[in-house]
Amino acid sequence: MQQKTALHVHKPVGTYRYVQIILGVFFSAYLLWRLYVVLIAHPAYGPDTWLRFTIDGVVLGSVYALIAIGYTLVYGILFMINFAHGDVMMLGAFGGYFVFEALGAYKVSSSLSFLNAYPVISVILAFLAGMAVSSTAGYFLEKIAYRPLRGAPRLVPLISAVGASIFLENAAQLLFSTQRWDYTNPAVLNRGAGWNIHVGQGTVVVTYTGVLTIVVSVLIMIGLYLLVKRTRLGRAMRAVAENKSTAALMGVDVDGIISRTFIISGVLAGAAGVMWGIHLGLVYYYVGFIPGIKAFTAAVLGGIGSIPGAMLGGLFLGVVESLGPAVLGISFQLKDVIAFSILVLVLVFRPTGILGEVLSEEKV
Amino acid sequence: MTRHIRNGINAGIIFGIVTIFLFMIGFTTTISDLLGQLLRNGSSIAVMGFTPGIFDLLVFLFFIGMWAGISGAKKTPDKIDTWGTVLLSSGIAGLLHGILVGGLALLVGSLLQAGVTMTVYFAQLLPDAIHLFLIGLNATSAGSFYVIFFLITGLIGGVVARTIRYGSWRQNLTAWSKNKWQAFTAWPQYQRIRHNKLNLFVVYGLLILIVFLLPQVLGQYWNYTVGTVGIYVLLGLGLNIVVGLAGMLDLGYVAFFAIGAYTVALLTAPAPHHLMWNFWVTVPIGILLAAFAGIVLGIPVLRLRGDYLAIVTLGFGQIIAVLLHSDELTAFTGGPRGVAAVGGPSLFGISLGTPEGFVYLILLAVILVIFVTIRLRNSRVGRAWEAIREDETVARAMGINTWSHKLLAFAIGASFAGLGGVIFASRNQFTGPEDYNLMVSFNVLASVIVGGMGSIPGVIGGAFTLKGLPEVLRELENYRVLAFGALLVVMMLIRPEGLLPTSRRKMEIKELHDPDGKEAGETPGGKS
Amino acid sequence: MDNIALETIGLSKRFGGLIAVNAVDLSIREKSIFSVIGPNGAGKTTFYNCITGFYAPEAGEILFFNKSLVGLSPDRIAQMGIARTYQNIRLFANMTTLENILIGQHHLLKTSWVEAILQTPRMRREEADALNEAMRLLRFVGLSGMGDQVARNLPYGAQRRLEVARALALKPSMLLLDEPTAGMNPNETMEMMRFIQRLRDELEITILLIEHDMRVVMGISEQIAVLDYGVKIAEGTPREIQGNAQVIEAYLGRAATAAA
Repeated sequence: MQQKTALHVHKPVGTYRYVQIILGVFFSAYLLWRLYVVLIAHPAYGPDTWLRFTIDGVVLGSVYALIAIGYTLVYGILFMINFAHGDVMMLGAFGGYFVFEALGAYKVSSSLSFLNAYPVISVILAFLAGMAVSSTAGYFLEKIAYRPLRGAPRLVPLISAVGASIFLENAAQLLFSTQRWDYTNPAVLNRGAGWNIHVGQGTVVVTYTGVLTIVVSVLIMIGLYLLVKRTRLGRAMRAVAENKSTAALMGVDVDGIISRTFIISGVLAGAAGVMWGIHLGLVYYYVGFIPGIKAFTAAVLGGIGSIPGAMLGGLFLGVVESLGPAVLGISFQLKDVIAFSILVLVLVFRPTGILGEVLSEEKV
Repeated sequence: MTRHIRNGINAGIIFGIVTIFLFMIGFTTTISDLLGQLLRNGSSIAVMGFTPGIFDLLVFLFFIGMWAGISGAKKTPDKIDTWGTVLLSSGIAGLLHGILVGGLALLVGSLLQAGVTMTVYFAQLLPDAIHLFLIGLNATSAGSFYVIFFLITGLIGGVVARTIRYGSWRQNLTAWSKNKWQAFTAWPQYQRIRHNKLNLFVVYGLLILIVFLLPQVLGQYWNYTVGTVGIYVLLGLGLNIVVGLAGMLDLGYVAFFAIGAYTVALLTAPAPHHLMWNFWVTVPIGILLAAFAGIVLGIPVLRLRGDYLAIVTLGFGQIIAVLLHSDELTAFTGGPRGVAAVGGPSLFGISLGTPEGFVYLILLAVILVIFVTIRLRNSRVGRAWEAIREDETVARAMGINTWSHKLLAFAIGASFAGLGGVIFASRNQFTGPEDYNLMVSFNVLASVIVGGMGSIPGVIGGAFTLKGLPEVLRELENYRVLAFGALLVVMMLIRPEGLLPTSRRKMEIKELHDPDGKEAGETPGGKS
Repeated sequence: MDNIALETIGLSKRFGGLIAVNAVDLSIREKSIFSVIGPNGAGKTTFYNCITGFYAPEAGEILFFNKSLVGLSPDRIAQMGIARTYQNIRLFANMTTLENILIGQHHLLKTSWVEAILQTPRMRREEADALNEAMRLLRFVGLSGMGDQVARNLPYGAQRRLEVARALALKPSMLLLDEPTAGMNPNETMEMMRFIQRLRDELEITILLIEHDMRVVMGISEQIAVLDYGVKIAEGTPREIQGNAQVIEAYLGRAATAAA
């Protein structure tokens, strides 16, 4: 009654908030101290090693970014986590692997295989095959395991997704056995080969495969950006993400758009899978599992539902994962623990992610 | 017409892919071995002119082919399909099925004849398996054989489908069984037995007696198996509270199992700490530590949506697995090699550390856990959990503090897993990181989902089928996990409430003293 | 005498660029029937969600018997005595009618989980009392005999009444009804109107109503507020509202655009 015009701005305040702040201060202080220790007080590595870690991180991060976008696209439209996304990536990696194997066995002359004679074409073919396999898998995944469950309680599609993930992983295990397969790249893309850069006393190798990974990843992201912002399909996707029923009333074929979203996220995952194979060299039936969870972390980090967020989140996570063990002074065996801890920390401190404010209670 | 053709094409392609997939993962070979043992005790006498293996394979493929035909002859709603249309669609389905499988036979057959070793890439494509698949013919004739074979089986499927669908015997059978069932339930003796509490007690008493005598009769191996199933029942009951009652998907459940197991291992084993505590002391510690871990993990996560919970718990399970596997903690947890010589329970100087002893211990634990679950489910706490599962937003609007209830569910579920872990490690006298991989979480989840979320008999039945059945059918071991995944999806698609869903408790008190509810005294609510 | 049950001062809620509720001032007398009306998308349900704590308003104050509700969690607000129903019935579909009502009583029961496991005498007594109370509510809304049916299987009208019974089980001093007569025929609507009046007369509950059916609104409200694009454009008795030019324009203007 008294002061009608005075507008108070309310923020949710509770004990939980204070716990968050205290934890946050402690955590930041510890991090700063560790940085001081490893960089200034007792430099653990020279600048060349730090640079190498960072480059590795960026390369890895650009792969995570592609997978993360797949999570974000699907989440933006269906509000569900596509648990099987990592396994879709694994299938794409195998697609590329078989193309390399086939081209490696196909001789154009007595001593030269197609793979080494035409490396550019081979790599393009591998990417196309990986993308084709993954997008097909994504399409059928949606059609079989998710579409019939639209409108069911949230737990139901989630369990179905977990089931699909287990199924895909074990199908791959039965088909390709538990062996870890070596990706045979074209000779020019030898793993480890690259440009040498002198930093301080040491040299840093910028590998060809790493550069290829970053370049392809950037190209795909630009393509995706244009697709979402400039095309009819992109507009329809954004409309469906905003409000499914309104989009349907406006004549948008919602099921079709959802299908296409899965295909697009499959394309990205397939590319990521082939990159993974080319750059890191090994593929096996659960190769998608850990990158899948990490990419999800990246998506959450950037604000799930936001495409630029997923890109940045992916890069950030890649770099942190690669620098983290050195900075914190723990064993490299535990680098996965860092990624998962980031996931938990992000959810504690900023569940809406760094860029995004997408989640709301009733937006279903 | 186009509709029937389309149905046929769809079914044909789907079944073609399925059959090819089954062959590529080696399932056709395994199943024909299994059928051979079941049908003919593995005798090697030729049947109907076929070598036994091939006969078994064809028996299996016959059913698949028939199924393709049945599924192709999909029912048109509100209309009786003519023989022509049914046979058209089932024929198309069979033909396509045959062409796809025949094509594969042609391909692998020719590759084999050309001397290519396919096992390099496809582990299951052993020459023997391919020879079996080619049923002793060369590639071309095997290919054409399959086209004809699946066309015929598809047509048979169509005939079966139409007969089942429109035969009058179907109504007769349902009516007959319904009548019989009604007659049975109306039977006075049945009524009396059912409604007499004493009789129920007798039945339950007998059941319990049998269960308690069983370990004496079973041998070492079976006691061990029953014990394993029992531990999974414990885990399932715990996860049932989290997933089934409170509706939260916890994928890192194995972490709590590991915490219980490592607690008892580290406290009772001679290495790496040489504490050598008494087993019974460590039981409550294991349970409490698991519950505590549940609370610590739950506090940040349970404010968030369910999907996040699923992935964070998955991450947590993975953190625990990585930590257990790493060399960093070898001094504390025994590292990748694990902890050996874990202490066992003994009572008044008698060791219970035998398989029978553990069966009794596990039974006791299961009964305790069931008791706690039932008591909680039928209280305001259990109702709040179910409300949260059904609609969390409304549950909050009804004054339920969803966060604290979810936390409680999480902690109690974790404590059951902790108990399971304690018994598990002690029974194996060993614990190592390999025992706590994610598959354990998925196994348990599958048994909860398949049995029926929230239902205790469902969980028990689920654990027996998913953990016990593979022990019996060893041949199918390789396909167990694949089947779990498929089962989760299929259950969600066709029967999300599970096979043995919870029956709702009857509570309404009939015949109240005062039938007229409009008196002043009868007005509910109000502010006193 | 005329206590104010609920008061909002300058209540505002925005979603991105859209201001769903814009500086709304309302004060609702205790034991009155107060209606909020307005064209579709006028911000009525958002207003409800602010009061019940599901949305945090950007600005403004909500006072319930002079206690601020802003920043409290939905469950706290419900425990303080504000119960609600939903426009599209939201029952706990797989639970029985009685269980639904018992959930409404949740915060009135005090059994802890330890007591539930031990089944102490206090817990048993409490459960028995709760069940009796639930039976009485069942009869009050005319659902006797349907107590053990799963809510999903109840007929539409029964589901509506069950939702009210569940809300009443909280022993609220204020009830928020969101389109309680949606999808009902004229007979059922009349019955619902009488029922709402009975709630106020017999149980002395303050009623806040969102409704589209003007016969219902004009028939039972003592005070009406009209929202349009989140702004309160009018407030008064049914007679005053019927004659208000701005209100007529808000409705007719919208209808005219829709027809075009």
